[in-house]
Amino acid sequence: MATPDPSSRRTFLRTAALAATGLLGSGGLDQGERLLAAVSGAGPDDPEVPNEIVAKILQDISRGRPITRGHLSLDMPTAAEDGRVVPLIIESDLPMTADRYVKAVHLVVDFNPDAHLAVYELSPAMGTVSLSTRIKMKRSTWVRAIAETSTGELWAAYARVNVTLNGCG
Amino acid sequence: MSTVGDARIKVPDRIGRGEIITVNSIISHPMDTGFFRTAEGKPIPAWFIKDVVITYGDEQVARFTWTSGVSRDPVISFTLKADKEGPLTMVWTDNKGGVYRQSVPIAFTAA
Repeated sequence: MATPDPSSRRTFLRTAALAATGLLGSGGLDQGERLLAAVSGAGPDDPEVPNEIVAKILQDISRGRPITRGHLSLDMPTAAEDGRVVPLIIESDLPMTADRYVKAVHLVVDFNPDAHLAVYELSPAMGTVSLSTRIKMKRSTWVRAIAETSTGELWAAYARVNVTLNGCG
Repeated sequence: MSTVGDARIKVPDRIGRGEIITVNSIISHPMDTGFFRTAEGKPIPAWFIKDVVITYGDEQVARFTWTSGVSRDPVISFTLKADKEGPLTMVWTDNKGGVYRQSVPIAFTAA
């Protein structure tokens, strides 16, 4: 399968031009290619963007900046029997000082009805990044945690969770 | 935990000045998505906490934006750098205008 170089300026410009002329979706690029191109900076090992909804969420978070895997961990079970209660832990080794800190962590669950599940706005007063909670999951999919620093960097961690019982109705 | 809005915040029994502590919280709330129906077929409207504000002393230290994708009776744990004595307050607000508040003192153990 041919994967476009996500950092390719040509791919980006082509997508932008197609979008601008309303041709996006009428051919030229296949769907996967378009979605990948739409999210700038997606690395080759990153989970595929499954649909326009997730692509839009990632675009709203990144606003053109690259999202890079690292400095963040997302600990989840690989198999969750009950999708109504899936535990997760988010941690980071990024600094939490007055001049450099994680100002927000976004949680995105690809195939959930409300895919942009939560936003955690943080501050240096927390000392470190360590969050734990429980979420609902509709089906087996990727979960994305994306941290935004006060200096504008975006760091991500991904977890693939297999769900047996739909927790979203 | 049965009445909607009943909330608990747990901090360590002994806290040293400057220590990074873990704060555990739970609030009783149905977190209804709006996608389910009762046994009689009546739709259950969405009812979920959408906003959590955390204040330490007079400083807002965190704010969480939630959807109905957070599990029933939401738990959230986070860290706090205990560098002053004062109340730690959490305010949960749901999509029907319900506001639930809980507070614990952060006080240092004598060194």
